[in-house]
Amino acid sequence: MFQRVSYALRETFASFKRNMTLSLAAILTSAVSLLLVGTTFLIQRAFDNLLVQWRGDVGMIVFVRPDVEDDKIKFIEESLRAQPNVINVEKLLYLDKAASYEEAKRVFSNDPTTLSLLSIETVPSQFKVVPLTTDALLVRNLADQYRQLPGVQTVSLAEDEFEVISTLSQFVRVVTIGMSLVLLAVAVVLIWNTIRTAMFARRREIEVMKLVGATNWFIRVPFMLEGLVQGLFGALVSCVGLWGLNQAWTSGVAGFKPGTGVSSLVVPDGYVNGVMITLVIIGALAGAIGSGFAASKFLDV
Amino acid sequence: MIRLENVSKVYGNETLALKDVSFDIPKGEFVFLVGPSGSGKSTLLRLMNRQERPERGSVWVAGANINELAESRIPYLRRTMGNVFQDYKLLSNKTVFENVAFALEVIGKPRHLINQQVPQVLELVGLAGKEDRFPNQLSGGEQQRVSVARAFVNRPVILLADEPTGNLDPATGEGIMSLLDAINRMGTTVVMATHDHRVVNAMRRRVIQLDRGVVVRDQERGVYE
Repeated sequence: MFQRVSYALRETFASFKRNMTLSLAAILTSAVSLLLVGTTFLIQRAFDNLLVQWRGDVGMIVFVRPDVEDDKIKFIEESLRAQPNVINVEKLLYLDKAASYEEAKRVFSNDPTTLSLLSIETVPSQFKVVPLTTDALLVRNLADQYRQLPGVQTVSLAEDEFEVISTLSQFVRVVTIGMSLVLLAVAVVLIWNTIRTAMFARRREIEVMKLVGATNWFIRVPFMLEGLVQGLFGALVSCVGLWGLNQAWTSGVAGFKPGTGVSSLVVPDGYVNGVMITLVIIGALAGAIGSGFAASKFLDV
Repeated sequence: MIRLENVSKVYGNETLALKDVSFDIPKGEFVFLVGPSGSGKSTLLRLMNRQERPERGSVWVAGANINELAESRIPYLRRTMGNVFQDYKLLSNKTVFENVAFALEVIGKPRHLINQQVPQVLELVGLAGKEDRFPNQLSGGEQQRVSVARAFVNRPVILLADEPTGNLDPATGEGIMSLLDAINRMGTTVVMATHDHRVVNAMRRRVIQLDRGVVVRDQERGVYE
């Protein structure tokens, strides 16, 4: 067993050295494509911070003053539920002050000034309303109606708050996912080509190996390892890039005035770490699988 | 040990390499396959180690129909065989020792066994002391001895040799033939394709003659003709 492992590692290293330039090209392409994949994740997450309050088709939020009594809250809820023709009462959601504070922590994740003004006591509780109608005017009239109710602090409409962001987020998502998929395909093709070249260079050796009874797996494994290493190195380079990018972005955003909304567009470190682990897994798998297919295809030399 | 039953092999759509070939090679026999270039000698050897499959007929090795062998079993079939080629097929970046050890290494033999068997077989083929040379530092005859050592190091039951003396002068060729003869006397079945009439006539072993893919003579203790 040890014999086989040491053979595979030795061959992987030797082949890597022999095809240095092609290997570097494969590594860099995987790095760029994975960096783009990672950036897509981060952008989505950043936009999600802004959109978190509007998730699930919420079209209107009725903010209730933190100091109102429970019977007023009850009254607001009943008046909302009394409109089943305009409001989806099934989806009507009430976030109490604790839940609202949790949400605020995410919305103002990089805006400590605003966040420091809030506490569980001072944050407004809220009703998330999913309108049944798509008629913007009708929803607007509804909002005006609720603004008059006692205890209501304010009513926000999705249309006013996030239409631009939502459209932008959608556009960025499509573009970045599309580009990263294309680049990932290019990286796999490059890894495939590197392995094919490596196998061509060693076709005589492979022929002898087959004739003396080496199994296909024995021949294939060093090539798969080579692809895996290329994917892995590419992923590690992309992780460094992603980390740097996120650091630069986070410190850049910190320069914006609090409360502008831009400050929400940051990603917590924990999430970035998760994305980096995902990139490493994608890189290693794409490398190993791509080269495995190439090795199988060209094993008949 | 090896049996061919009505074997036909066609390359592409038209080139008939073998036509209805049948013969039986018992264990421990030494057989020459003779005939002009293109008569089908090499194709027969390639059918025996499953580098090729026949269009019709069956090839039996050690009691198994190797045409029906699963792909995953082929390596194990080949571990029972050694192959020697006219162009030696040595790896130029490996030493004599490494070239021979390679055959054991790739089938997962442990290092201590490799260190024990490789010097033995190099001694047998007369290359003791040249373990650290590279193929380009050896004569043609010595390179072919390395190739024989590599084929025999795993003690195969069958040794297939395709024109092993084709690139060698007569005296060197004789040395290789003595080696193959010695290997045969140790119990290994040897099948050798050749059109070197000197070695065939000198050895007087079984001769199977092919002409345009057809067996035209199968003679015990034959000569080249």
